[in-house]
Amino acid sequence: MNVGLFVTCLVDLVRPNIGFAALKLLEDAGCTVIVPAAQTCCGQPGYNSGAREIAKTLARKVLAEFRHCDYVVAPSGSCSGQMKLHVVEDLFKDEPEEADFRALAAKWYELSDFLVSVLKLDKLGDKFDGSITYHDSCAGLRELGIKSQPRALLAYSGCALSEMQDAEKCCGFGGTFSIKLGEISTRMAENKCVNIGVTGASAVVGGDLGCLLNIEGRLRRNGDVTTKVFHYAEIAAGMAD
Amino acid sequence: MSARDNILARIRSQSGKAGLTTNADLEAVRAHISSRERGPVPTFAMHDPVQHFIEECARLSTTIVEVGDISAVPLEVARYIDRASLQQRCVGWEEFAALDWQGTGIQYDSRPATGDDLIGITGCFCAIGETGTLLLLGAPNTPKSTALLPETHICIVRKSRMVPTMEDAFQLMCDEIGEPPRATFFVSGPSRTADIEQTIVIGAHGPYRVHVILIS
Amino acid sequence: MQVQSMHFKQTASSKLNDAVLQTALKKSKGKFVDGRALGVAQIDNWEDIRTFAASMRDRVIDNLDAYLLEFERNAIRRGAEVHWAETAEEANSIVLGIAQRNGVKTITKSKSMVTEEIALNDALIGAGIRVMETDLGEYILQLAEEPPSHIVAPAVHKSKEQVAELFMKAHHKPRLTDIPAMTREAREQLRSHFLGADMGISGANFVIAETGTTLTVTNEGNADLVTTLPRIHCVVTGIEKVIPTLEDFATLIRLLPRSAIGQSIANYLTLTTGVKAHGESDGPEQMHIVLVDAGRTKLVGSDMKDMLRCIRCGACMNHCPVYQNIGGHAYGWVYPGPMGSVLTPTYVGIENAGDLPNAATFCGECQVVCPVKIPLPDLMRKWRERQFDMQLRPFSERAAIAMWGYFVKRPALYSFATRIAARVAALMGGREKLIHSLPGIDGWTQGRDMPAPEGKTFREMYAARLAAQKVKT
Repeated sequence: MNVGLFVTCLVDLVRPNIGFAALKLLEDAGCTVIVPAAQTCCGQPGYNSGAREIAKTLARKVLAEFRHCDYVVAPSGSCSGQMKLHVVEDLFKDEPEEADFRALAAKWYELSDFLVSVLKLDKLGDKFDGSITYHDSCAGLRELGIKSQPRALLAYSGCALSEMQDAEKCCGFGGTFSIKLGEISTRMAENKCVNIGVTGASAVVGGDLGCLLNIEGRLRRNGDVTTKVFHYAEIAAGMAD
Repeated sequence: MSARDNILARIRSQSGKAGLTTNADLEAVRAHISSRERGPVPTFAMHDPVQHFIEECARLSTTIVEVGDISAVPLEVARYIDRASLQQRCVGWEEFAALDWQGTGIQYDSRPATGDDLIGITGCFCAIGETGTLLLLGAPNTPKSTALLPETHICIVRKSRMVPTMEDAFQLMCDEIGEPPRATFFVSGPSRTADIEQTIVIGAHGPYRVHVILIS
Repeated sequence: MQVQSMHFKQTASSKLNDAVLQTALKKSKGKFVDGRALGVAQIDNWEDIRTFAASMRDRVIDNLDAYLLEFERNAIRRGAEVHWAETAEEANSIVLGIAQRNGVKTITKSKSMVTEEIALNDALIGAGIRVMETDLGEYILQLAEEPPSHIVAPAVHKSKEQVAELFMKAHHKPRLTDIPAMTREAREQLRSHFLGADMGISGANFVIAETGTTLTVTNEGNADLVTTLPRIHCVVTGIEKVIPTLEDFATLIRLLPRSAIGQSIANYLTLTTGVKAHGESDGPEQMHIVLVDAGRTKLVGSDMKDMLRCIRCGACMNHCPVYQNIGGHAYGWVYPGPMGSVLTPTYVGIENAGDLPNAATFCGECQVVCPVKIPLPDLMRKWRERQFDMQLRPFSERAAIAMWGYFVKRPALYSFATRIAARVAALMGGREKLIHSLPGIDGWTQGRDMPAPEGKTFREMYAARLAAQKVKT
């Protein structure tokens, strides 16, 4: 069974560690992982900025690169939502390529969903020593139903999870929103950081790097250099620091 | 071309339909309307409307008391007025004028309420168990203002007129009266507002108190 | 209402720093959000009801002309006069005409968002007619000379101290400190107006085609006093408010108050059909219904027609994390939050409301809570697409997308550019691994640091790993 790893543009540029953590988790679980070399981006930044044609071009590129895989897995709810939902139900709806994209969407999984629901992973080798809290990224949660799967992985890693107030509330990233309407975005990030602080957790964990950069950026600007920020894949793969 | 013509024409062209609304279009609408299709009803609404009604009254701050017979009403009204330290003058609907008010010392004026009346006594067309709601249909001898203007509204409800849902209330109205009268008034509890700091205050422009006397 | 949406960003900024507003927003968020959750939990088939309601609204919107004609036919049959208005000006002129023909001096009014759209009060007051808002929130705003900031709780942004101050000045009475006392004072002040008004103006939460009925959903009882006591009743309603039957109202009323504030039902559901009958003591002698277009037909049959399903519950704004932080006034017109971000560009022009569809992270909360399943994020995205096609966004944004688009389609070029960017940014981050400021992303770095990249891209590291493995084997 070969699994294509869609790394995501943010992971590629900013935190390859998450990509390698995803790779390790998949290989440890017995998958043959393929990483198409020419991948760049799912197109969501263009899509949400109204640049439909760019979004369609990038979706076609992703299809060409990954269509031969048995599964496609991405450590991101928003990229997975883009390829599973928006591409099929909006960008290529009622067009000749819709069937191809539907086929791709059917075998595309967000990483934790793939590990827990498809591979039925029920334990992990590496343990994480520390208290954590979890931020539910919006797209993963509301578009794909990602909620229990990352928590399952974190439980297998022995994390002590302390749920924060409003874990499901948007952190304020929203892609280019974080720059275009930065003041509102910062306030939303601040609200999230306050809720994180109340839990007393030593680390905040999430499933989308955009959210994690936003949260970490606000924590550090607030002078908090001790609260760690991890993708669940890093913890599950024993690659969190 | 009038505004009416322009608006209808624009609706048609935006919907990709040629020309004016046809008789077939109107017939299709009427056919759908006469099907009286009901939407889904929550499960809890289907069982024991009287019990539900009583529970909902508590949630709405409607006080409620059960009596065996209509003849017990004046005494219960007197008791209620006494407990709440209210005046002994009421206005009310014609249908209750012949009850024994004098025996309880209550002055019952059978006429529509004015802005000065403090207690209004009405019946209702029916009551709805799902939401603790009273349905009042306005008519010359059942004016809505009696339930609206006074500070206290006392409503006499017969258990036999309790229906499970609003759909059932509409069915009953259509069966017995045909069409809604001018004033079709659903009352669920005393008036309230939360417009200042989202703090609920009972008693806005409508009554401060609603008291239901449920007749077995 | 005057359009201020073009000042969204500045206004939002000042609202973020408005302590009174922030307190009010926190309070109302708890009440509305928790309230709705409790209300919805009572219903075991909530999703089924939503689905039915969405399809019922779609049926009407897809046959709007026929449903409006059926409504008109029945309304006239029952004694109402039905008027049609294409624009705000026409609607105001019709209502003013009715008032003037009948020697109306005082009008009482219950809350109506469409009358805010068309600025009806200004038109009437300008002609020398006295107009009293009677919904407590709207009354407070009339005294404050402010527009509403929410469609269900219009004065949600005000503190009780601010209200006490307004009442003291307007009623010439000692300043009050407690909310029930303020409510009582408002009731007393408005009573005589209710009783003495010549004409009552209301909106309509819905109008029913089957029976020619208009209806209001309220808790205060003011709409009833406005529509029962005066000799003339004038209903002003958008054309999209028509629903097929009484039964359909029963379905929608399960959704509306629960979605708005978690109530299982609103206190007063007032269905009004025609004029005072022979022998009735209550009721108006004349009933006028003004059907207002004012831009609604633009949505009919369009790729944004789903927006016409809206039942004006306010759930979307209550749950929107952006609205929760800035309140309703920042949106600059009648409708705030997600529904406002779709309707405002439609009714006042995208060029006057450009920031509104961009003031969203597409978190999806609005879509989840909308009782009639309007895909609000998708509709806001459509406005962004229109802006992109019409080149309405600032040059810097358009240039950034164009540049990104050029690189991201070309893997080798992208790889080259990202390797450079990763290294440069890692260097900038220094030992702290944090970038404190970066030209072009001020919006981010004003309030946050940017965690620095690791320094190499995943693609290059993976390629190197593959190459090393090949060497080994």
